[in-house]
Amino acid sequence: MSLKKDIRVHTIFVSLVVSIMIILLLSLFLNFELASDTLGTQILNLNSGETETANAVTSVVTYFRGFDTLGEVTILFLSIFGIGLGLEGYKDKLNIFAYENQLLKIAVDVLFPLIIMFGFYIIIHGHLSPGGGFQGGVVIASAFLLMFLAKDDEFSLNHKIISLAEALSGVGFILLGLLGVLLLDRFLGNFLPLGSMGNLFSGGLIPLIYIFVGIKVSAEITALVEYFVRIKDVR
Amino acid sequence: MIGLIVLSIFITLIVLSILIIINEDLPHSVILFMGFGLGSVILYFLFSAPDVALTEAVIGTGISGVIFLVTLLQIRSKEIRK
Repeated sequence: MSLKKDIRVHTIFVSLVVSIMIILLLSLFLNFELASDTLGTQILNLNSGETETANAVTSVVTYFRGFDTLGEVTILFLSIFGIGLGLEGYKDKLNIFAYENQLLKIAVDVLFPLIIMFGFYIIIHGHLSPGGGFQGGVVIASAFLLMFLAKDDEFSLNHKIISLAEALSGVGFILLGLLGVLLLDRFLGNFLPLGSMGNLFSGGLIPLIYIFVGIKVSAEITALVEYFVRIKDVR
Repeated sequence: MIGLIVLSIFITLIVLSILIIINEDLPHSVILFMGFGLGSVILYFLFSAPDVALTEAVIGTGISGVIFLVTLLQIRSKEIRK
């Protein structure tokens, strides 16, 4: 008797919540005015007033679709986490049946700082020229990949620093977004001064977001590369 | 002129992808795959998508190719030691 009553209350409650949500959605859709322009021209028109970035793609990725970028970063984090769960026990020194390459060993000393610098250049200039957080982060990770291939015995990563950088940059991204919600009622709202288009210090929040994304992506891809290069024993 | 370049890159990419599939030597086909990535970088750049070209240059040509090669070499070196 009581069980039946519970089920009935439960179904009534669920159907009530669902119908309220449907009414809310319908009212939203009915009040929504369809734009006469396409979305692309609208965003480009907004770009000059709201974000002031020379590279309009950046303002789409980090400002107009900033929440999507958070989702992408989360997906990347989860996939690296899964790879780490699967390959954690097999980590060891480089285990390839190949001869050492002396040429690569000497060249990597020159190339490593240059590639790191180029990666940071791409990250910092993301709002001015093509590139941005993801691309620059992957360039930095490719420098570490070169280091793994050339100097396997001398080079080792500090895992504490890498996981700390990844965690802090992710938290910083979310905190910036929540600060935007507090100040401007919008996730990743641009509360910093905008500056003038084309300068290095312009675009308000966008360079900061790209620096956080770049640090996070570079740490994650470096960890991924290390997992794959230093497998002890393939099953 | 650009149309001719784009057309030749398209044909090269199709030939490369067929070669990647029918090749029996796996490291060889990984290197062909990296060449495929390089061709698509030029295509993305010509179609005015430099952001995607940059990503493809690092991910498609660099990191994924090296990860494939390293995995193949590890499996092979285990087979040799047996």
